[in-house]
Amino acid sequence: MFEELLEDIAQKNGLREINTYLKLTAGLGAILLCLLSTSYLPPLFIAVVLTGAILFLARVDAKTYAELFIVPLWFALMSVAGIILITGGQDVFWSWDILPSFSLSITRESINQGIFVFCRVIGGMSAMCFIALTTPMTDIFIVFRQCRVPEVVIDLMMIIYRTIFILMDQVVQIYHAQVMRLGYSTWRESIYSFASLCGAAFIASWDAGEDLIRAMDARCYDGKFALLGETRPVERMSCLAVVIFLSLSTAIVIVSGNSTII
Amino acid sequence: MSSIILEARDLRYRYPRGLEAISGISFHIRKKEKIALVGPNGAGKSTLLMMFNGMILPDSGIILFDNETIRYDTASLRMLRKRVGFVLQNPDRQIIAPTVYQDVAFGPTNLGFNESGVKEAVTLALRHVGLEGFERRPPHQLSGGEKKRVAIAGVLAMDPDVLVLDEPTSGLDPSGSEDIMELLDELNHDGKTIIISTHDVELAYPWADRAILMLGGKILQEDIPEVAFGNPEYIRRAHLSLPTLLELHRELQNRGFLLQGKKPRTVLDMMHCFETLLKKTCCHVRPGAITICNVDRHDRELLLLWRSMHPTLSTGAMGTRAKQRAENEQMSLDFTYGVIDKCILKALLGEDSLILTTESMVSRVYQRVDTYGRESGIRIPVKQLDDGTQPVTENVGSVK
Repeated sequence: MFEELLEDIAQKNGLREINTYLKLTAGLGAILLCLLSTSYLPPLFIAVVLTGAILFLARVDAKTYAELFIVPLWFALMSVAGIILITGGQDVFWSWDILPSFSLSITRESINQGIFVFCRVIGGMSAMCFIALTTPMTDIFIVFRQCRVPEVVIDLMMIIYRTIFILMDQVVQIYHAQVMRLGYSTWRESIYSFASLCGAAFIASWDAGEDLIRAMDARCYDGKFALLGETRPVERMSCLAVVIFLSLSTAIVIVSGNSTII
Repeated sequence: MSSIILEARDLRYRYPRGLEAISGISFHIRKKEKIALVGPNGAGKSTLLMMFNGMILPDSGIILFDNETIRYDTASLRMLRKRVGFVLQNPDRQIIAPTVYQDVAFGPTNLGFNESGVKEAVTLALRHVGLEGFERRPPHQLSGGEKKRVAIAGVLAMDPDVLVLDEPTSGLDPSGSEDIMELLDELNHDGKTIIISTHDVELAYPWADRAILMLGGKILQEDIPEVAFGNPEYIRRAHLSLPTLLELHRELQNRGFLLQGKKPRTVLDMMHCFETLLKKTCCHVRPGAITICNVDRHDRELLLLWRSMHPTLSTGAMGTRAKQRAENEQMSLDFTYGVIDKCILKALLGEDSLILTTESMVSRVYQRVDTYGRESGIRIPVKQLDDGTQPVTENVGSVK
């Protein structure tokens, strides 16, 4: 499963032992800078640096990373195409009047705007991927607790995190059982099968919920979830790397100003 | 005989939908006993087990724990559940936290241990089940056997007196099942009472001190395994199968061979039967020696040196830590289950063997070999690992 795959990569990645706060600072800082920047250059720089970090420092398989990137990239390309065609401007390169009150045109401004949005998307995407691929959920729970997120919320998140995989497993099993008995051979059949899959998954999760309470009771549940493990120390080298990366990005944001590609 | 820890008096329980799951069950379990509850699906095994830690309240009848009637108020239940640990059949349902550490820490945290206390309990429990270094792993990445071990560790961390396991070997491969049974043996050796339910007659037969055969919510028979599993009529009614050794023994008897002594529980017992039957021992003049390496005391160099001096030696590991040690040293193990018996069998062939084991289990090797020596009259030398330069000198030779 894809979700499991992401978590698996995060659990084993090369930057696993780096302090969680550092990784989150780098990732979230990069997203913030992408949003603040008014030029296409800083997001591009961030995308390149973070992709390099993901591929060479975290040692994530390039193919997996490309697969992860391709879906949102496709969306981004389509939106950018739309933006380029619809956004107006003075310096018109090409235009087509479809209707009296509506025309499609490519202008200098629209191309700049399109490229800017596109770079922002890939910058933000690589920052999100950086967090997702280097920081497993289990580490993020620790950060949540230290940030004083209410206990109830964290406990719920942890239980949900744990049960997602179990439910997913069950859904896959039921789905396979249906496919093996030709449950999705016709359109009518697949609607029926999908409905019964949902029903079975609901019953299974209800059942699992009751078992969960039983399992917790059997171990003297008293409203407390175990303390989360220790955090790793901030190492000088990695801290320096994050500081350099963020300040360099900030500098590029300031220097590049409103510069455009054409 | 040690004192009684769990006792049931005329338990009855009816499911809300009207099916009677338990209809009049009475028995008792002594401290440090290994009990196997066997019976077909729907015999009421799981229901009965759930009563031991107050998860299910019987309709009538009482359960006594440590000679006191179980009470069902919150405080008493907490106390009871701390002392009677329950491991569910499906580890996925038992493991609730996102990491191994958190799951094992769940019990101790709720018992109000402080942070260092929790950590200590978790480390100890994980060490016991051989999962050191798994603390930060999420459970969905573990194998079936590892999940089962996490589930057991989660209960062990609360340091219960009684361990109740529902189908501990279901869904595991044969070697995984044997590992779990050995772990239970080890825990029992450390003083815990262990109650399991199972369908696996072959595993339960040599393992249990007593077996309880259940059928239709009633106890069919309750006795030592040789007797409990020895009645073909009951075995048939309980949808089980006769253990191979017992069947072999019975068939030999049916053919007019007079087999003396007790019914065989292990291959070693069976060998003994054959030897008395044929009125000769297959043993060489000089039985092989069994060397014990205590992994808690003997250091690595000595073991490696000793191994290099005896490269062809059969090696067995008993206990989780011993197995781990062998894995770390990349030693190939010949035996991992029923190790002492297998080494005695080797010794009878005149071959030497080495047992890796932990501090607490060393005495068991001596005990078992002693018992065998008394029964068969063959004395097998057992010695602790030394520097290996001098030959075996103590207890040599067979005394026939």
